Amino acid sequence: MIKNTIAWIDLRFPLSGFVKHSLVDYPTPRNLSYWWNFGSLAGIALVLQIITGIFLAMHYKPDIGMAFDSIQHIMRDVNYGWLLRFIHSSGASAFFAVIYIHMSRTLYYGSYRAPRELMWWTGQGLLLLLMATAFMGYLLPWGQMSYWGAAVITNLFRATPFIGDYVVVWLRGDFQVGDATLTRFYALHYLFPFIIVGAVMIHLVALHTVKSSNPSGINLADKDNIPFHPYFTIKDLYGLGVYLIAFSIFVFFLPDTLIESANNVPANPLRTPAHIVPEWYFLPFYAILRSVPDLAGGVVAMALSVLIFAAMPFLDRSKIPGGARYRPAYRLMFYVFIANIFVLGYVGAKPVDALPSYLGLVATIVYFSIFLLLPWVSMKEEKYLRERGLPAELETLIKEEEAQKDERRQKKSDRRHS
Amino acid sequence: MKKQLMLTLLFLTVSFAVNANETNLDQTIIPTDHASVLRGAELVVNTCVSCHALKYIRYSDMLALGVSEAKVEAWRNNSPVNTRILAQMPPEAAVAAFGGIVPPDLSLMAHARDGGVHYLYSYLMGYSADTKGEIVNHVYEGTRMPDILAISSATDDKQRAEITAKAKDITAYLNWAADPHAEERKHLGIYVIAYLLLLTVLLYLWKVKIWRKLD
Repeated sequence: MIKNTIAWIDLRFPLSGFVKHSLVDYPTPRNLSYWWNFGSLAGIALVLQIITGIFLAMHYKPDIGMAFDSIQHIMRDVNYGWLLRFIHSSGASAFFAVIYIHMSRTLYYGSYRAPRELMWWTGQGLLLLLMATAFMGYLLPWGQMSYWGAAVITNLFRATPFIGDYVVVWLRGDFQVGDATLTRFYALHYLFPFIIVGAVMIHLVALHTVKSSNPSGINLADKDNIPFHPYFTIKDLYGLGVYLIAFSIFVFFLPDTLIESANNVPANPLRTPAHIVPEWYFLPFYAILRSVPDLAGGVVAMALSVLIFAAMPFLDRSKIPGGARYRPAYRLMFYVFIANIFVLGYVGAKPVDALPSYLGLVATIVYFSIFLLLPWVSMKEEKYLRERGLPAELETLIKEEEAQKDERRQKKSDRRHS
Repeated sequence: MKKQLMLTLLFLTVSFAVNANETNLDQTIIPTDHASVLRGAELVVNTCVSCHALKYIRYSDMLALGVSEAKVEAWRNNSPVNTRILAQMPPEAAVAAFGGIVPPDLSLMAHARDGGVHYLYSYLMGYSADTKGEIVNHVYEGTRMPDILAISSATDDKQRAEITAKAKDITAYLNWAADPHAEERKHLGIYVIAYLLLLTVLLYLWKVKIWRKLD
């Protein structure tokens, strides 16, 4: 019965073919580590946010007089509304954690390098969409931190040359953050996740064109690829299990740790909270913003800090394959970068006093220096490594890759001349 | 080694967010048992609600909590049982009495200040008489709320013990009011995580079995 139905569909839609080619037989390097699970986890996080978001939207009211009350209605009266709300609020943090780990994997293993630049850039676009979605979603509870965070960040657009003031009013829908802002942020917050779904599909099409990289960073021989199903379907499921346990600990036992206490107070435009802080996933960028004393300068620095990732394929000029595994200098820069992000995160959470402010400036300079020094360091490192002689396993892998390339070139010219 | 370093750094970042400004708050454990919450419910409605509202709590929620029908009937005074609990003092009188502000709603107060329940308890117990004889609160200086539990004038140990118990019960109730589903949530969480643990172990064993097929 099912077989007949599928056969019927296959005559009209490439279902079986697609499943077989892209999900079952799809060749995947056998040496992928668990760091490669985070892409699929990001997809799950997205699905969870969309499902909980849609059910929350059935009860939420995007009106400044009703928004805060509607959230309490969801928390207290709606059946399992508290569960929907906590999954959604914790889910946003989980989504960012997964994405940041996913990006770190890409940076460490050099998966942004040719021919995967478009994967990296579509990923970049996805990160920006996610940040916009999270920012707009945070306004919706209409708490003190929601309101003031939105007020501060929308105000930054004043830095736009010549038309800055008009841009801010255009964005907010009014001179201040208010009902107009809340309504439009709600509309866009509902819309953006579906744009993200589309962008994820583009990201996956790019992936299936170039196939996954692997921890060695070198294209493995065909014999070293294994079918995605059952090996990676089960591995992803197991990873999902671990993720859901960690996620559930937050949802059921620690949901309040991720909600600022000030956000349990309804928004009051006449009363600024003692400290305006964004959610943890924005803290490093917030620190960079505040480390420049000039508004326009801070905005440019913050924008650059996110966008500079796109330049990685060009900044990394080493021809040693892969990422940090065979490149000690690159590995060191990576670890310094990660440690620096944590320092920036700490600075972002603190009020602007003497020590955090100085630390923030140093950390911002370190942040950009790592990117800007990469071209020089990568070239020097390559020269040094080649002089010393590459490790035997690396030489073997490079030779195998060259042999594969030659084989492909030979096949291509055979086809041309036949 | 590297993994441990990363995890330590992660935990450090989280701990900074959690430990903000809690250094001078009393860290006494606030009871969460049902009896304390019930005693607190009575205390809050009989003392606090004269000035403070609890607008996200209805009288029906009080009944569901387990407060006796007689008490709830006395409190709601012929208004329907699903009426929200509002302050007895009308807003205009409150503004006049407290110099321009209305006493804040208490429904979420247990979560609305850094330090949570410890803040609430320390605040209620934080009143004392300063050198000029004026009553001040060391947790929130400049508060316009009077020392309702009279801790600043409590002299003997028996009085202090009574007031301490009252403060704990009030905090326990307000903690419940801020998140009435907390107990249900944690109870469900145990089962969810137990199920996920079993599932994950099985998935792991299956993963190992499948991967053994590779030479």
